[in-house]
Amino acid sequence: MEGETKKTFVVTRFDPDQDEAPRTDTYEITVQPDWKVLDALNHIKDHVDPTLSHRWSCRMAVCGSCGMNVNGEPKLTCKDALSDYGDTVEVAPLANFPVIRDLVVEMEGFMEKFKAVKPWIMVAKERAIEEGTYRQSPEELDAFKQFSMCINCMLCYSACPVVSAEPDFLGPAAIALGHRYNQDSRDEGNAERNEVFRDDGGVFACSFANECSEVCPKNVDPSGAVQQAKLLNVIDWATGLVVSRGGK
Amino acid sequence: MSNARPRLDAMRPSQPGPTRTADPRPPDKFPGRGNYLGYVLFGSCGVFLLLSSILVLRIVWALAAGEAAWNDLMAQFQNPIYVAYHVLAFVGLVWFTLRFFSLFPKTQPAKIGPAPRPPDAFFAVALNGAFAVVTAALAAILWGAVL
Amino acid sequence: MAELIRHDLVIVGGGAAGLRAAIAAVEADPDITVALVSKVYPMRSHTVSAEGGAAAVAREDDSLEMHAYDTVKGSDFLGDQDVIQYFVEQAPRELTQLEHWGCPWSRNEDGTVSTRAFGGMTTKRTWYATDKVGFHLLHSLFQASMQFDRIVRYDEIFVSKLLVDGGVCRGVAGLEVRTGEMKAIVGGAVILTTGGAGKAWPFTTNGNIKTGDGMALAYREGVPLKDMEFVQYHPTGLPGTGILITEATRGEGGYLINSDGERFLTTRDYGVGSKAELGPRDMISRAIVQEIAAGRGIEGAHGQFVHLDLRHLGEEKIDTRLPFVRLLGRTYVGVDPVHEPIPIRPVLHYMMGGVDTDIDGATDLPGLYAAGEVACVSMNGANRLGSNSLTECLVFGARSGQHALGFVKGSDAGSDAALSAQADEEGGRLEALRGKKGSETIAGLRQELHDTMEAGMGVYREQGGMAKTVQDVQQLKARYADLGLADQSKVFNTELVAALELRNLLDVAEANSIAGLQRKESRGAHACSDYPTRNDAEYLHHSLVYFNEGGEGRYDKKDVTLGRWEPEERKY
Repeated sequence: MEGETKKTFVVTRFDPDQDEAPRTDTYEITVQPDWKVLDALNHIKDHVDPTLSHRWSCRMAVCGSCGMNVNGEPKLTCKDALSDYGDTVEVAPLANFPVIRDLVVEMEGFMEKFKAVKPWIMVAKERAIEEGTYRQSPEELDAFKQFSMCINCMLCYSACPVVSAEPDFLGPAAIALGHRYNQDSRDEGNAERNEVFRDDGGVFACSFANECSEVCPKNVDPSGAVQQAKLLNVIDWATGLVVSRGGK
Repeated sequence: MSNARPRLDAMRPSQPGPTRTADPRPPDKFPGRGNYLGYVLFGSCGVFLLLSSILVLRIVWALAAGEAAWNDLMAQFQNPIYVAYHVLAFVGLVWFTLRFFSLFPKTQPAKIGPAPRPPDAFFAVALNGAFAVVTAALAAILWGAVL
Repeated sequence: MAELIRHDLVIVGGGAAGLRAAIAAVEADPDITVALVSKVYPMRSHTVSAEGGAAAVAREDDSLEMHAYDTVKGSDFLGDQDVIQYFVEQAPRELTQLEHWGCPWSRNEDGTVSTRAFGGMTTKRTWYATDKVGFHLLHSLFQASMQFDRIVRYDEIFVSKLLVDGGVCRGVAGLEVRTGEMKAIVGGAVILTTGGAGKAWPFTTNGNIKTGDGMALAYREGVPLKDMEFVQYHPTGLPGTGILITEATRGEGGYLINSDGERFLTTRDYGVGSKAELGPRDMISRAIVQEIAAGRGIEGAHGQFVHLDLRHLGEEKIDTRLPFVRLLGRTYVGVDPVHEPIPIRPVLHYMMGGVDTDIDGATDLPGLYAAGEVACVSMNGANRLGSNSLTECLVFGARSGQHALGFVKGSDAGSDAALSAQADEEGGRLEALRGKKGSETIAGLRQELHDTMEAGMGVYREQGGMAKTVQDVQQLKARYADLGLADQSKVFNTELVAALELRNLLDVAEANSIAGLQRKESRGAHACSDYPTRNDAEYLHHSLVYFNEGGEGRYDKKDVTLGRWEPEERKY
C-alpha cells in the first residue's frame, strides 16, 4: 500500500512470573499510513509476538480500554495517529498505576475511587415511573453534560502529579463524575458527596496542574470540575457558618 | 522506568491484587512536558510572595524606626541584587497572575446560587482589565504621580 | 481445585442487558445477591458504542400500535407479535426509568425528553443523548448499579463453560484472566447477556469483545440458536475500520449520494419509497451495494464507497446533535462532515438471531436465560429497526432478571461437589490449551473465517457461496484442534482468551451459515440472489440450529407467532 513505512516500537514488557521489573522489547514493523498506535500493537500481537498483552475493544475512542503512555504522554491509542510520531515510538503502560502485565494496569484502585464519590442519582423520595420523566431544561443539562462525557480511560490519572504524591487523592475522573451528579438538577445528593469531596484526598488535595484536562481525549475538563467543586464547597462551608443547617 | 525511582503508592487498590504487580512510576517526563513546567513554576512563584512579605515587614520596621533607618533601607535597595530581585519578582508575579486569570474561567461552575456563569470572554476582559487598572494605579502611586 | 463462589443468580455480561437484569433482580428481592460476571470491566461493554438512540413512544402523535406495526413490518413479519406487543408497552417505562437513574437524554426547550427520526419508524420516537446514546445509557446504568452492594462484580473473568447438573444450568466456569485460575461461580440460574458475534466478519462496527461467547456457551449445551441467518448490515460504516456512523445522521436529515452526486434513494426504486434515507437498514444497505455494483461508487484506499452528505445540516446542528460523528470523521477518515461528505459503505452491525428464548428470556435448558443481542426473543425477526435494540436490552434484561429470580426460588441449590468437579475439568482443559504446541495460528484461522464469512454471508448471499462457507467453517473447526499458542504465562494471558473467543466465533459461524443455506427465500436482511422473493408458504418460520458434537449442526424450524398483522408485501 502506498505510504507504508517502517517504524520501531519500544514496548514495555512485564510478566510477573518471569520479570523482576518491567523491561522493554523492540519491534520493527511496516505500518500503514492510516494506522493508529493500537493498530500497530494489534499487528505485533497477531503477527510478531502473540505474548504481548494489552487491553482494547471498540477502536473508536469510546470504550476507554486502550489508554497507554506513548512517547511519555498518556494517549488513547485507538485515537492516536501513528503519523504524528517519528521512526521510534515508545509504548508504556499508564503511569501512576501498578502494572499487572505488559501494558495492562491494575484498575481496582480506580474502581474504588470511582465508587467513593457515589456516582448515582440520590433523591429523598424516589420518583415513580408513572410520574414520567423529570423536566430538565437544556441549560440545566448543559450544567453537567460535559462532565458526563468521561469514558474512564484513566489518562488523567496517568498525567496527574498529585496522584503520584497523594495515594488517597480521588483524582480527576472520579471528582469530575461526582461533580457531574452534584450539578444534575435531578440529584439531591450534594451534601453526601461534598463530605467525600472535603475529606482527605478530596478536591482540596488538587494543586491545579491542569494536565488532566490537557490529556483528556474527550474534552471533559476534569480540572475545571475539581476547581468548581472546590469553590462550591467553600461557599457551602461558609454558608454553613452563617446559616445553621440544623440536624445535619 | 529504572528501579532507582522511588516506590509509589499511587492508584494501588486498598487490598493488594492476587498477582504481583510492577510498581507505579511517576508521570513520564515530569516536569519537562506539557503543563508540568508551568505548574512547577507557578508553585515556585510562592517564593516571591514569601520573600516580598519579609521585605514588607522590613519596610514597616524601618518606617517605625525613624528617618535614618528608612534612608538606610532605601540606600540598600539601590544595590543591584535588590534591583534584580525586584525585576524578577515583578515578572514572576505578573506571569503568575496572568496564568491564574487564564485558568480562572474554568473554575466557575455553571451557576452559583441563582446566578448563571457569564461567558468566558467576560472573565478575560474583567480580570485582565482590573489587573491593568490596579497595576497602573500602583505604579502611579509609586512614581509619585498621585497622592 | 477451582474456587466455588455462590450467589443467588449469575449474570454473564455487563452491558445494558446484564446490568438491567442485575438491578431488576436485586430490586425484586432484598435478600438476594447477584454475581455479575464479565470478561471486561462493565463500562467497556459494547453497548458503549451505540450512537443513535433508543426507541419508545413518547409523543402525542405516536402510539404503541404504530411502534408495534413498524417493528413487525421492519422484521419482515418474522418477529413474534406477542413479544413485540410487550416490548412496545414496556419501552417507555424503561427509558423513563433510565432517565430517573440519571441518563442525560437530550431535551426540548420545555424540559421534556427530545426524540428524533430513525429508519423504518413512522414518527419521531427515538430518545437520544446527542449521538452517544449507548455510552450514556451504559454509564448511567453502571453507575446506578453501583449503589447496590448486592450486585457483586467479577470483572475480567472469561466464562468458558456453563455448569449443568441434573439437567439444570446452575452456574459458570470462568477463567480469571488476571491469575489464570478457574472459578466456579454458581447460583440458582444463569442469565447470558454477552452480546453478538460481529467479529466473525472482517468488516464490522463491533468491538474486539463481540465474539459470540454466550451464543456458543448455550449452543454447546444443546440450546438451539434461532434465526442466525439474519445479520444486519448497517448502511453507514467508515471504509477500512468499519467504525459506525450513526443512522441519526440520516434521522437528522443527511443524504446518501453516489459518484454522480445523485441522491439515489430518491431517484431509483429501492423499495424505500418516500422514506428515502429513513428506510430500514436492510434495504438501504442493499441499495448501496447495488449502486456500487452499477459503477456509481467512489474508489478509495479500502475499496468502493458512497457518500453520506451532512453539509446542508450546518455546523451548529452537527455540533449539537452529532458531535461524535464529527469527531469520528475527522479522526478516522480525515473528513470534517461540516465541509465534506463522509465516505461510507455497509458494515456488519448486529445479529437478529441468537440463543432461542421465550418472552421471559428462558431457554430450553432449565435455569438458563438470555437477553439482549445474545438472545433471540424474536422481536427483531428478519431485520431490526434502528434504536429498537438498546430498548430491547432494557425491556428483556429486566424481564429475564425477574423471571430468572422466580426460577431460583423454585429450584434446589444443586451439588457443590458436582459443579466444582466440572469446573476443575474445564480448568484442566484450559490448562492444556495454554501455550500448547500446534501448527495453526489464531490470526491465520481468524483471517480464513473472516474471508469465508464475507464471501458467503454478506449483504447478498447465494446458495453456492453459503454452501462453501458451511464447508469452510467445518474445516476451520477441525483445524482449530491443531492450534498452537505461544504464551505460557498464567497472568493476563490474552492469547488464551483470544483462542477461546475464536472457538466461540467458529461455533456461531457454523450456525449462521447452516441457517443461511436452509432459507431459500429473501426476507429482511437475508437477501438470497437465487431466491429473490419472500416465500411465506414455505419459510414463514424461525430457524433453529442445534449443536452436534463432532459434526455439523442440526437444522430445525419453529413457528412464528403472528397476531393482529398478517404478512403483507413489505414496501415503504
